[in-house]
Amino acid sequence: MQNFFFLGKGGVGKTTLSAAFASGISNEGKRTLVVSLDPAHNLGDAFAEEIPCKIKHLSKTLDAIEVDVDRMILEYLNELSSKLKHTYRYLSVMNIEKYFDVLKNSPGIEEYATLEGIKKFVSEECYDIVIFDTPPTGITVRVLAMPKISLIWTANLVSMRRKILSRRKMIENVRGKFEAEIEGEVLELTSEERNDPIMQELLIYKKETKALNELFSSDKTFVNIVTMAEDLAYFETKRIHESLTEFKIHLRKIYLNKLFRIENPPPEISGKIKEQERVTEMMKDHFKDIEIREVPMLRESPRGIPQLLDLYEKFIQ
Amino acid sequence: MSALIVLIGAIIYLVSYFTYGKALEKNVVKVDTKRETPAVRLRDNVDYMPANKFVLFGHHFASIAGAGPIAGPAIAMVWGWLPSILWVWFGNLFIGSVHDYLSLMASVRYDGKSIQWVAGKIMGERTKTVFELYVLFAMILVIAAFMATFTSLASKSPQILTGTVLFIVIAVIEGLILYRTKIPFNLATIIGVIMLVLTIFIAFKWPFINITSPHTLYLLQFIYIVFAAALPVWILLQPRDYLNSFLLYAGLALGLVGAIISFRGFTWPAFTTFSARAVGGQPSPFWPTVPLVIACGALSGFHSIVGSGTTSKQLDKEINGLFVGYGAMFTEGFLSTIVITSIGAFGLEVLGAAAAKVTELGIDMAQLTAGGAYLGNNYVKAANAVGGTLAVFTKSYGMMLNKAIAIPATFGATFAGLWVSAFVMTTLDTTNRLGRYAWTELWEPVKNTSAGLYAFLSNRWVASIVVAAIGLWLAWGNTYTVLWAGFAGTNQLLASIAMLTAAAWVKNVQKAGRWALAVVIPAIFLWITVFVALVWYLFKVVPTLAAATKVPMYIFTIVMLILDIVLVAQFFVSYRKGPELLEASK
Amino acid sequence: MNGFLERLKRFLKGLEIGMREVSTSLIEKELEEYENVFALITMGIFSGIPSPPTGIILRLIPHMQREMYVMLKRSANLDDVFAETLSHFDID
Repeated sequence: MQNFFFLGKGGVGKTTLSAAFASGISNEGKRTLVVSLDPAHNLGDAFAEEIPCKIKHLSKTLDAIEVDVDRMILEYLNELSSKLKHTYRYLSVMNIEKYFDVLKNSPGIEEYATLEGIKKFVSEECYDIVIFDTPPTGITVRVLAMPKISLIWTANLVSMRRKILSRRKMIENVRGKFEAEIEGEVLELTSEERNDPIMQELLIYKKETKALNELFSSDKTFVNIVTMAEDLAYFETKRIHESLTEFKIHLRKIYLNKLFRIENPPPEISGKIKEQERVTEMMKDHFKDIEIREVPMLRESPRGIPQLLDLYEKFIQ
Repeated sequence: MSALIVLIGAIIYLVSYFTYGKALEKNVVKVDTKRETPAVRLRDNVDYMPANKFVLFGHHFASIAGAGPIAGPAIAMVWGWLPSILWVWFGNLFIGSVHDYLSLMASVRYDGKSIQWVAGKIMGERTKTVFELYVLFAMILVIAAFMATFTSLASKSPQILTGTVLFIVIAVIEGLILYRTKIPFNLATIIGVIMLVLTIFIAFKWPFINITSPHTLYLLQFIYIVFAAALPVWILLQPRDYLNSFLLYAGLALGLVGAIISFRGFTWPAFTTFSARAVGGQPSPFWPTVPLVIACGALSGFHSIVGSGTTSKQLDKEINGLFVGYGAMFTEGFLSTIVITSIGAFGLEVLGAAAAKVTELGIDMAQLTAGGAYLGNNYVKAANAVGGTLAVFTKSYGMMLNKAIAIPATFGATFAGLWVSAFVMTTLDTTNRLGRYAWTELWEPVKNTSAGLYAFLSNRWVASIVVAAIGLWLAWGNTYTVLWAGFAGTNQLLASIAMLTAAAWVKNVQKAGRWALAVVIPAIFLWITVFVALVWYLFKVVPTLAAATKVPMYIFTIVMLILDIVLVAQFFVSYRKGPELLEASK
Repeated sequence: MNGFLERLKRFLKGLEIGMREVSTSLIEKELEEYENVFALITMGIFSGIPSPPTGIILRLIPHMQREMYVMLKRSANLDDVFAETLSHFDID
């Protein structure tokens, strides 16, 4: 089971390359799933097919799905909302709806939902290869960073929780079972880790997150950057690489996409060509240990599996 | 005589409770049996929950009792037993208990908010800030005063020192038993009491820890404070607190029994001289300096914090307020009565037993025991031969028990010594924690200019060490009476705030008419006394301090005086403005 | 005689309850503080302080009635913490 992530700015050709890669690799017989996490939802355009938010079979070995992150967020919040309305029904002080407005737009909710989306498919046993077409760089980098950050938070929360539980235990030893009365409801406050829902949630979350963290850094995960031979794209690529290194995630390949391969370039774009050459040099120089694949600007954007396959065979394989 | 004094004290307190107290209840507080207390009305089982009145009394009394009601009167004997006992009886009755009771009830009427919060509402926000501002000073002074007192005591008594160290050990063990095992509470308690008795016995029989150098003791206390205050409460502070209450009740009960059964006449003079050398070896006029010596037994501002901080949120019925607030203070006064009684009956004998050491200090024993001005001027100095005025008490107590129930005098003295030092140590621990907090608050403004500096200053250990170190520094070169007076001064200032607030409340909100005078007159009298006492302290005592510590003490005393003035100004403003100030804020 | 014994029993029982309370009052206060802080941190997102990743928050919120309750109570009484805190410390 291998996971492929294609990262890159908007417009560099991520989706096209992901789709091409998916087409090619599934053609070689590997059972492939391509997942689009990009809110731009261009995957369908690349395959020239409607791709819904359910798994669609594009061929015998190729499935595709477009994850609607916004919908996922709303679903989570609705589920949470009904849970809370029941649990906190006696905390009349709380106005649940107000809190959800905050949560819906909270920093990190998009990353969270995206990560949940990745979690769902990253270990799908019935596929040999799962390919992720990612959201714009910013979110993706934050998503990849999340497990590490979550682990730090979780560790602290666990230690804090242990302090609370141990003190409850001390009081219990003297005063008996701790019962708190909140507006008529009697809550039993446990002092045992295995009975404490919060501790259990934290431990489960820790386990899941650790697994994800390890997966991202393992040799089963291939993270590729799609970029262009432009200054801005170069700087961005550099930054992504730094972040990935910080999270101990390998960068496998860099795809230099949409390169001008023109025999006699007209003067209007000579500047651009010079930039291209310069940046290509810089890339090769800076990313010495990473394989750089050059993919030229195609006459037409490939649409549909046959054209994607062609792209794959020519430049990606 | 001893029995007589104790009985008279009891009678005065009891009669006052049922006459004056009840009158206050009816005409000033205007207790209404139908009105729900916040413990009932705002019950949340977190802070607000009604408690059984006996339980509440016990809790409140244990919280307000400490080393204060013992150490203060021990020093005050310098004026003779009569002025001291009169202050403990009538100062308590007319000022102290009124203060305690009204702080409690005013708080109850304001949803359990603290008297400082009420002060802020009735007398303006500035009062609240004024009050919270000097907490840091107060904490450091408490540390200094108590450290010095303990050092005096322990340097001359390996029994007490050994007992103190052993007590720490058994407190930790008790903590483990109570909180970390499933051993039933009652059994754990019995084990604790047995360990206590064993501690006293071992300390009495084999006092193996003997340190006479005050400087060493200071350093050891410093280390103790810093570490103890950093520990989670369950390890040491909480079990200590619990065991302390047994010492308190035993001490009180045995003292009562001892005083009555020993049936001993007073050898101590009723009156020595008006300006006996009480504070810092300076001639201290009884008025106004007595509140700088006897604080807790007669009047203590900290009681208002306890009363309006927790007790008011747990009072189940208004009618029980008198028992808890007023009654507990009387009990504390009674404790001080026993202190005075034991020294009154046995104090001179104690000094006599150490005649050799006293003479070494250049004091003439014959003149000392003859009483009069010589005793007044040399008592404190002579007491240093045995471990300070507090030691005069512990040894007197020991002799009293010996006379009454034939326990070896040293055993009784060790018990009393442990009793007092246990409270001292607990207070040192807690005040360091609080001082640490206040210190950190003080440096808030630095956060914006230099985050690194703030992080360093507010680090737990740094804060803890700094606070303890300042306390240590103040204590190092100065005598305990000076520091004690400083501590008592802050205490009385706190009481002034509460008293003035209560007076404003009684006049403007309660509309108690003529009965308001029962509060207003003591409040004003207290304010004047404290103010004059502080001025006296500023001019007569501070100049005699060890050079380096003079400056902070000057600053401290002047700040207190300024606060005192601001306070009374606020009071008169609100007094005249009347209810309108209250409507706006309630 | 019976009535007296009955009252004595109740007195002793009350004494025992009192003692149990005294022996844990500081620990209880400490516990409340920890619960308060725990709630503040996990709910940090609602009060503008740095908070854990949303994922953790969403998972924990359904189980935090007690902590939320303590936090809300504490917040309501923030203008009067001084005496409440000090009163637990034996200073006198």
